[in-house]
Amino acid sequence: MNPVSTLIAVTLALVTPIIGGLLAGVDRKLTARMQERMGPPLVQPFYDVLKLWGKEPMIANRMQPVLAFGYLGFALVAAGLVTFQQDLLLILFVMGMADLCLTTAAVSVKSPYSYLGGRREFLAMLSYEPVILMVDIAIFLVTGSFTVAGIYAYGKPLAMVLPLALIALQFVLVIEMKKSPYDISGSSHAHQELVRGVFTEFSGYTMALVELGHWAKMATTLMIFSLFWAPNPVIGAAISLGMFFITLVVDNIYPRLTWQNMLKTTWSVGFVLVLINVAALVLGGII
Amino acid sequence: MNPETLVAVNVGLPVVSALAALLLNDKRIRTAIVSLSALVLISSSVLLYQAGGIVFSPGHVYEQAVVVLDFTLLLYFLYAGAKAKSLPVIGLGLAQIIPAAYFEFVVKGTHVQNIILVDNLSILLTLIINVVGSIVIIYALSYMEEHEHHLKMKKSTQNKFFFFMILLLAAMNGMVYSNSLYWLYFFWEVTTLCCYELIRHDGTDEAKKNSVLALWMGLVGGVGFVGAMFLGYNQVHSIALTDLMAVPEAMGLAFALMALAAFTKAAQFPWQGWLLGAMVAPTPVSALLHSSTMVNAGIYMLLRIAPAIQGTNLSYIIALGGALTFAMTAFLAIRQTVSKKILAYSTIGNLGLIVLCIGINTALSNTAAVALLTFHSVAKGLLFMSAGVVENKIGSRNVEDWEGLMDMLPLTTTVLIAGMVSMFLPPFGMLLSKWVAVDAVASSPLYIGLPLVLLVILGSAATTFYYAKWIGYMTVMPLGLEKKKDEELEGPYKLSMIGLLALNVVISVGVAFVINKLVIPAISSAYPIVVSTTGLTVDLGFTSFPVLALWGGIVAVFLIGSRLAGSKGGKVAAPYLGGSNVPGDYTKYRSTAGGEFDLSVSGIFLNASLDEASLEKIALYIGVLISVALILVEVI
Repeated sequence: MNPVSTLIAVTLALVTPIIGGLLAGVDRKLTARMQERMGPPLVQPFYDVLKLWGKEPMIANRMQPVLAFGYLGFALVAAGLVTFQQDLLLILFVMGMADLCLTTAAVSVKSPYSYLGGRREFLAMLSYEPVILMVDIAIFLVTGSFTVAGIYAYGKPLAMVLPLALIALQFVLVIEMKKSPYDISGSSHAHQELVRGVFTEFSGYTMALVELGHWAKMATTLMIFSLFWAPNPVIGAAISLGMFFITLVVDNIYPRLTWQNMLKTTWSVGFVLVLINVAALVLGGII
Repeated sequence: MNPETLVAVNVGLPVVSALAALLLNDKRIRTAIVSLSALVLISSSVLLYQAGGIVFSPGHVYEQAVVVLDFTLLLYFLYAGAKAKSLPVIGLGLAQIIPAAYFEFVVKGTHVQNIILVDNLSILLTLIINVVGSIVIIYALSYMEEHEHHLKMKKSTQNKFFFFMILLLAAMNGMVYSNSLYWLYFFWEVTTLCCYELIRHDGTDEAKKNSVLALWMGLVGGVGFVGAMFLGYNQVHSIALTDLMAVPEAMGLAFALMALAAFTKAAQFPWQGWLLGAMVAPTPVSALLHSSTMVNAGIYMLLRIAPAIQGTNLSYIIALGGALTFAMTAFLAIRQTVSKKILAYSTIGNLGLIVLCIGINTALSNTAAVALLTFHSVAKGLLFMSAGVVENKIGSRNVEDWEGLMDMLPLTTTVLIAGMVSMFLPPFGMLLSKWVAVDAVASSPLYIGLPLVLLVILGSAATTFYYAKWIGYMTVMPLGLEKKKDEELEGPYKLSMIGLLALNVVISVGVAFVINKLVIPAISSAYPIVVSTTGLTVDLGFTSFPVLALWGGIVAVFLIGSRLAGSKGGKVAAPYLGGSNVPGDYTKYRSTAGGEFDLSVSGIFLNASLDEASLEKIALYIGVLISVALILVEVI
């Protein structure tokens, strides 16, 4: 890699929280419009985070702030692995490390709400990880490589050969963004039985770190989805933004479901979609 | 030193120290014996690594000694079976002693040209056995003192305990050096004996029952070896492993029998019962069996025969058996609350993963298998050792009681978490397994590859789940919890845990070195080299892993995080409990209905979704099916 592209890769990884923050602003605005409200300004999420940062520091235990930063830190490392075109499984793994920081911080506090949220976040990871792995393997079967670089080298748009895999990833995005029907471990608004779930015990600057981490993760995930049209980044971005929009619509029209439903749906629908896709490619002689 | 001497030291010295520990039942002398032999064994395994491989035969007198000892051992097994009134033990014992006697005295077929063969695989195994094994035995010095203190024993039986612990190292070393099937079989039986005696050490009814279970399952493997000897002698008039491997087409059934034996020792379904039962023994026994000895015997056996069964159906069935074991144990482990049982399931699952890799039988998958074996030994040693300390110090095996452990036992908890994290941290844990699973799809027909991949994916997701959950228990920091005890660790505890932790860190950071200098040489005689390392990255061909960059990232994240936490700090506040907190008491809250309520939180065990009895039943059926298929595929 030459110095210029290295610089671009580093910058792109570091701005993922900002991209994610803007998307969060879009989310609030669009959701408000769907509910016939005005909604806050686009940059409201940034005002919120700045305000949180300035609050009097309160923590639940001495491990919590380290882990809150770990959530953001590992999300940024994952973003860096994407922009440096590294291994997809490794990226998934580092994202998992970020999640592990969040859940460990949540269950390190003996609070029923944060505990429940943490446990359910484990279940969320259990639900979507196998689906992403299946998709990664389908990508490997098509491109012969596991790296982001390999997807670029493949040359053709993945969305044309793996359309069903993309649909499977839509389920993942809903869980990842903690949107209805799968906002069971904590969501952007409070719920009766779990308050704010995994987020309950964060406040002030630790909450700000968790918000930034959440944005970075969301932006990184969407960046990975955009690889499905690698030859043309504009179409790629359009695909991931489209999936983002679908998630918002689903969020506004669906009630919440249980974790059992989440696990069953993602495993059955996700697996079946990817398997059909792979089978079709085998029968069609493409792989 | 020449390799012959080193081989003699690695087998002979533990026998001598074991006898010394048996005869001199005194704490100080025992500490001296154990420390000294640990020092010698660790050095001699390193020296053997430098000296390299060798092929030779010890004198005739040793051959005769092995025959005498072998029949003594078999007679002892029969006696143990009769005493316990166990039909399987007696039956399986007779099924060995009669054919073995016929083979020895009528066929006279036990002599082979080269009895001892030491190659890079044996050398790696010796390193694991001597280094990790010795550290565990040092740990046992502290543990057994505490253990006998807890049991309020008047007369110490530690001499017997240490005798079998140290003898196990000798048997393992002897096994990995044997080229003669008869010698291999003999050392195999000695490991069975040690295992049987160590499990029943505490003498409770449960311990006795479980030791008999371990005995008859171990003897199944022995029967397999006797069968393999007959088949080998019939075909090639030799029972040297190298001669059998030279004609792989004719030796299918012999290899199938050895694979069956390997499945019993590696506790693959349906043979997992003995390893789960072994947890009644004092914790150092589990630490030794699970990390560097017993279970590795099975893996070693499979690695030995793997080059001869490449691309056969037998190999695919081995892979399927491993994959099924891996996936099912992960879901069984989610349900457990007893620390040692979670660890036992995790061992069985990890071995399943290694067995799967060996069964896929490509250059890459075998590299992965050996790497996983190495890292698993160290990590599992750490996990059992620290779990044992926790159990002795806080008096509970139930992981739900481990709240606030980080405050009470910081060093032990750090060791425990380090062990867990390294079980699924790249590149040697779960990530490597996924890479290899993908290699399975690429290298075998899709109808074999896809089921394997599905099993690996589900199993690894469940594995992350149960480890994450467990880490969660230990890092709970309840407010207002009073420190029960300060962490005071005895010398051997500290030495062994810090030593193994240091080793774990060194091999994790230096993974490229480990792969280059230990793993690749161990398999390169039979497989091409497909993994290259540059110090900074490990390159697998279809992907590469930036080792140092990732380690740098992890360290940076935690350094910056700690600094930030240090500078921002913050007042510690009570958690939100829905109602109002009771001032001064963090364990109670007031609800709107009035009155004070106790706060309690609990974990997820998926009890409603996964019924343990039926899961175990499924595991049994599938396991039996796999074991039958192992043999049938070669008979047909």
